[in-house]
Amino acid sequence: MPDLNTQKTQSTAQQLASAASSEVIIDLDKVNKWYGNFHVLKDIDLAVHKGERIVVCGPSGSGKSTLIRCINHLEEHQEGNIIVDGITLDKNLKHIDHIRTEVGMVFQSFNLFPHLSILENLTLGPIWVRKMPKAEAEANAMMYLERVKIPEQADKYPGQLSGGQQQRVAIARSLCMNPKIMLFDEPTSALDPEMIKEVLDVMVELADTGMTMIVVTHEMGFAKTIADRVIFMDDGDIVEENEPNAFFNNPQHERTKLFLSQIL
Amino acid sequence: MAIITKEKTTARAAPLSDKSLIGWLRLNLFNSVFNTILTVVTVYIIYITVEGLLVWGVIDAVWIADTRRACFAISLDGACWAGVVSWLDNIFYGRYPREELWRINLGGLLLVIWMAPLWLPRVKAKVTIGLTTVFLYPFLAGYLFAGGDKGLFMQIMISGAILCLVGNTLHAFIGVFTGKGLPEFLIALLGKKAAPEKSQRNILLGILAVCFAVVYMLQMGASFETVSWTKWGGLFLTLVISGIGIASALPGGIILALGRRSKLPIIRVLSTAFIELFRSVPLITVLFMATTMFPLFMPEGFVLNKLTQVIIAVCLFNACYMAETVRAGLQAIPQGQYEGAHTIGLGYWGTMGFIIMPQALKHMIPNIVGSFIGLLKDTTLVSIIGLFDILGMLRSISRDAPWLGLHKEPLVFGAMLFFLICFAMSKYSRRLEVKLSTDHKH
Ligand SMILES: Nc1ncnc2c1ncn2[C@@H]1O[C@H](COP(=O)(O)OP(=O)(O)OP(=O)(O)O)[C@@H](O)[C@H]1O
Ligand SMILES: [Mg+2]
Repeated sequence: MPDLNTQKTQSTAQQLASAASSEVIIDLDKVNKWYGNFHVLKDIDLAVHKGERIVVCGPSGSGKSTLIRCINHLEEHQEGNIIVDGITLDKNLKHIDHIRTEVGMVFQSFNLFPHLSILENLTLGPIWVRKMPKAEAEANAMMYLERVKIPEQADKYPGQLSGGQQQRVAIARSLCMNPKIMLFDEPTSALDPEMIKEVLDVMVELADTGMTMIVVTHEMGFAKTIADRVIFMDDGDIVEENEPNAFFNNPQHERTKLFLSQIL
Repeated sequence: MAIITKEKTTARAAPLSDKSLIGWLRLNLFNSVFNTILTVVTVYIIYITVEGLLVWGVIDAVWIADTRRACFAISLDGACWAGVVSWLDNIFYGRYPREELWRINLGGLLLVIWMAPLWLPRVKAKVTIGLTTVFLYPFLAGYLFAGGDKGLFMQIMISGAILCLVGNTLHAFIGVFTGKGLPEFLIALLGKKAAPEKSQRNILLGILAVCFAVVYMLQMGASFETVSWTKWGGLFLTLVISGIGIASALPGGIILALGRRSKLPIIRVLSTAFIELFRSVPLITVLFMATTMFPLFMPEGFVLNKLTQVIIAVCLFNACYMAETVRAGLQAIPQGQYEGAHTIGLGYWGTMGFIIMPQALKHMIPNIVGSFIGLLKDTTLVSIIGLFDILGMLRSISRDAPWLGLHKEPLVFGAMLFFLICFAMSKYSRRLEVKLSTDHKH
């Protein structure tokens, strides 16, 4: 049964891919990962096309964070291949550093640098990693702060901002590196309800620019608006993947149905 | 059902507050019979000690006399400060030639001038100023104190130091008045603001090279008479040893701490072994080892003087302690900071230098200052292996013919001096801590 299911979803994925560009920018091939004896990721296959927007959901502990953290090598996988932007992730530090400049990531807990001002948070990477002149980096940073609608906070420190503002700064910080791919790990789960919207709005705008995005989230409304494809993970497996309408209205798998019934 | 009373509440005395003096006294010292007795007894004990000290140290004390005998003739029970006073130069400078003392004073003054910009507002690039203090000033001061022939290396370092000192000072002045840095100011002065960044840099490098050449020429003519390290002593020697120890402890400690957390097993094991070895042995043992065993490990004909051996030992010892302080500081930084740094493409050194260390050092300030204070006090151990640091000097007063047997006064004086220095340091660290924690309002 599961076999049949995977085949079906894969063909759907291919159909969907034609909507975005046909160039594959992230390619996971039979990826396996263990924490000690605990098998977190089991034979994960996933191809993400340029410009595609993917939402990943699933119960707690199913391996969603681990999956996307493997893509920029915050976690190491043990078996299988991960190819990002044409580069295979291996032990070569140069490859890892290169991929990290191309892949931005936003965390549940923001992870801004508390000892640097907002502007410094945004320009550090461009200046020291991208070797951009300071004036240009600052102009660039202000441009992105405008885009996330908080240019007036540039000289403050992260500790002086609200959660929603901090998360928008974190998004801007990643964008300043001009990445090809953005990863989001539950970007709104640490926020109060009134701040969730301001962050999601920024993400919707980002999606409209054609950015390749992988978003782990339980905001199903958001998933319906922006996702090209929704992936459901359980117990280290990709159980089901489909375009949002079909996924939410006509889930194929028992585990998906159970999960959706719990969160919707 | 609510009950509403119509009468006005009558006024009553304010509750005891601990704001007024009387209120504070009543709340804290006289709030029960037992505490009242305790307070009275304590006050009495304090009174008799302080009174005894006052009578001995001030009222009955002798300030001017030529010998201990003369002191006794004036007052039998008072302190004989005259001995300390007549030895003051020795206590501060050891046996350094009297006509050369200005070199030590100048060295101290230069350090103050060098570091003053760190505390001035609007001055930029304070980290660079701090780094030059650690890496260039010691050469200048070292030559000033020791004198003698300058090798090529020393000539280069001294010229660099002088150039840096002048540059620093100019930079600080410009900073205070205009808020600009020296390079920016020079470029504006030359009217090259519009020039591309690369040619601006070339101009600055050119100016630097010319200035360096001039300074180098000038310093070639100057040289000082050699003063052997055996003549160094007193507070001066204590400050030299602990100063070098302090300046090298932090960089050394950071390197060792990073080594201990390294992913490479060899580096990790070596750093750990080194740290644990030094930490499990008392400083005095390390000092004895350094002066007796160290020469055995050195190649034939390679002789280091005792002072250098002692300084190396003090540096290594303190770097190991500092390493543990730094490691504790590093552990307080959440994993998310590393991940945040990685996602903007920073590698190991970028992550450590820009993100982790600055935050960790801030957490560590009280501990760092604490170990500096400890280091300053520990340095007095070198008197045991025969260097005449301040403690050595204070104790040799009692062996000086006119002051034979004068033990108490010099040691009391030393204690007060140490207390002053250490107290000031710890007060300053408190202020720094408060300032840093309110600065960014975490
Ligand atoms: N460093 C680690 N060491 C051992 N086990 C880990 C580690 N990190 C995660 N795990 C385990 O791996 C599993 C998957 O974790 P992961 O964080 O990917 O889940 P998740 O799907 O993101 O869950 P959540 O919705 O709670 O964030 C969990 O069972 C977790 O306990
Ligand atoms: Mg997670």
